[in-house]
Amino acid sequence: MSAAATEAGTLPDAPSGSLLHRIVWHWRHNPKWELWFAWWMMVVFYNLYGVLFFMVTRVQPPPPAWLDASSVVQWFDDRHQGLLVGFAIVFLITGFIVPTNALLAYSMRRMSVSRAFPYSYLVIYSMSAVPGMLLTCVALTVGAMRPDRDPELIHWLYDFAFMAFDGTMGVFLIGSLVWMLAILLDENRVFPKWFAYLNLCNALTEVVVSPAWIFKRGVFAWDGAITWWIDMVVFVIYTTVFITLLRRMIVREDFGTGPLPELRTEEEAAEDARKPSVSMGTAR
Amino acid sequence: MTNVASDGSRPRGGDVQSLADEPAEATGYVPGQPDMWAFVLFEAFLFTGYFVVYMVCRIQNPELYLQSQAQLDLRIGTFNTFVLLTSSWSVARCVQSAREGEFRSALTNVFLTILFGFVFLVSKLLEWAHEIGKGFGFSSNEFFSFYYFLTAIHFLHLLIGFIVLGVVVHQLWSPARRSQELVETGATYWHTIDFLWVIIFALLYVMR
Repeated sequence: MSAAATEAGTLPDAPSGSLLHRIVWHWRHNPKWELWFAWWMMVVFYNLYGVLFFMVTRVQPPPPAWLDASSVVQWFDDRHQGLLVGFAIVFLITGFIVPTNALLAYSMRRMSVSRAFPYSYLVIYSMSAVPGMLLTCVALTVGAMRPDRDPELIHWLYDFAFMAFDGTMGVFLIGSLVWMLAILLDENRVFPKWFAYLNLCNALTEVVVSPAWIFKRGVFAWDGAITWWIDMVVFVIYTTVFITLLRRMIVREDFGTGPLPELRTEEEAAEDARKPSVSMGTAR
Repeated sequence: MTNVASDGSRPRGGDVQSLADEPAEATGYVPGQPDMWAFVLFEAFLFTGYFVVYMVCRIQNPELYLQSQAQLDLRIGTFNTFVLLTSSWSVARCVQSAREGEFRSALTNVFLTILFGFVFLVSKLLEWAHEIGKGFGFSSNEFFSFYYFLTAIHFLHLLIGFIVLGVVVHQLWSPARRSQELVETGATYWHTIDFLWVIIFALLYVMR
């Protein structure tokens, strides 16, 4: 598939100058620049999120839920600078969620379904940032801020942070079901139906997190093989798929209200380009 | 294989009656929406992950698993399996009847499937109540954690299955709808529930 095949017909050729020059050109001439901006913000956000949580702060994969107070203090000491610097950056980039959520809602706004779907999705996913990111980061930052604090208090912050992170499950569950239902009802073919079913699969993995409320050890604890590792694999696949599908949606977007045009291969686009001249020749 | 129109397009609502008169062609199409088969694949991968984790835990503590397994009633598990296999048979008959344009029979079979699903649901609830009554809860030991987890996540699929069968009934009810593709898609989902249960049954009740 050629991504340029559909766009080529609606856009004049972009100049081949410097990156800055091309960005300015697209800002002035490309009617999809806001969509592309939101999409790139989404890509940057998820990549930064991964680097900051897994490599800088090292709070993911999550540490064991069974650690005692002295081990938790040691855990904070080992990551002291990473937690403070990493979460300072996380708070700076939190705003990236806005264009990300806007694009997700836009995809549903483009469907032939009620406006209730994008609006509820927007509210749900904006809400998920509070427990899933902000509360977790605040609690862990507070824990790292004063290492001489009472170990029992630091232990409390540790539990609070990771339970808050898992607390997003219900929000993501409903969000995935809203998206699934919108895709199944949509007649504009914005997304393939299999993605609706992948949403269902993702929603079911959110349910699987619930045993983390009961267990401190084993596969059902917050760091367990079932509660975290398998869910994370599904989440990475799900995220990669929807970022890819959103890109295809932007390429296909025609700003109409009917079905989105399908992407065409370069051969089909070339064939379409030849057709008018053939018919004109026949007319003559 | 599902019916395919002469131009290769898949049947839509209202096309079923005329398509039902044509002999089924041997084509490369899968029954129902191919998208649902993608779901079957996702679920198969996901449950494979759960089963592998279960097996690894079991290998580390075989005595505990064997002793706990003995607390389960194999007859209930066998009954559950028999009921679900029967429900798969009736949903297959529903698809066949719809293909032949016998929609009254198709509806009867889908209602039978719902009934068998309901019997499974009630027997599973009774079994859980029975095990809890004996003192074996979700956090009693590792085996029972897996037992409740696997049967509960399967139970959730079953509940979604009732919604899916509701869509099938909705399609078959009115001559204005009757999309063979949706009927087959629903049946594919229901077979997935059955398929997953058979493996869960083998792992939890049978394997020693």
